[in-house]
Amino acid sequence: MTQRGSAPLETVLSIVFLMLLVLGTIEVSLALYGRNVVAEAAHEGARAALELGRGSDSAAEIARSTVRRSSGALVRDLKVEVLPQTVGSMSYVQVRVAGWLRLAGPVPVPVPVTATATVSKEVAPR
Amino acid sequence: MRSRDSGQAVIETLLVSLILLVPLMWMLGVLSDLHRGALGTTAAAREAGSDAASSSGLANASVAVERAVRQAFVDDGLDPRRAVVSWVATPGFERGGTVKVSVTYPVTIVQFPFLGRVAGPSIGVKAIDLARIDPYRSRP
Repeated sequence: MTQRGSAPLETVLSIVFLMLLVLGTIEVSLALYGRNVVAEAAHEGARAALELGRGSDSAAEIARSTVRRSSGALVRDLKVEVLPQTVGSMSYVQVRVAGWLRLAGPVPVPVPVTATATVSKEVAPR
Repeated sequence: MRSRDSGQAVIETLLVSLILLVPLMWMLGVLSDLHRGALGTTAAAREAGSDAASSSGLANASVAVERAVRQAFVDDGLDPRRAVVSWVATPGFERGGTVKVSVTYPVTIVQFPFLGRVAGPSIGVKAIDLARIDPYRSRP
């Protein structure tokens, strides 16, 4: 049994395997990064809605636009649900974000990502 | 004897790759947890600072800090009981003064796939927020 040509073949196989490993690592890192970005965007959206909103509709619109701007191009099919609420002297805004991460790598499977953020503020007496 | 060596490089590559892969994945998981912990801690400190600064008094500010930190950690999937929170405000909670909130969270770095975290060493992530008490806040 001859071994001629086996070294280049093994090298090619090894390089392919290592490339998959490196690209897979980058893909996993992007997925984790995307999850954190969406969580942060939800917080930003909720805080902006609470501070700047002049009513339920206005708060919801501010939260949506803030989340979309903060999420960037990594997330697609973004769904933003905003639940403003006032209980007694407390005002609450909850933002729920759901979307799909657009990953480029050896396994380009869309990854679902969700995040929830709730912020509160004491309403000044009138 | 020569035929026994065939394919050995592939096996060696696979073994070395696995040895590289395991710590690499572990490191990715830890870095992700650290990033998540840092984001959660930052969000908790910021929300607590904002919430406390818009409160009508010291007592309400204290409640606001606890509530905001707990809520931020729960939202980010972190355990609020492990967080260490401290805060100080300008004496008398004067309008235009400051509220300083400090939140520290230990991120466990020893964890196993499918088993989760185990008790052991951790890296503390800390966030500090300095918020200005609303100078025009009306009070009861």
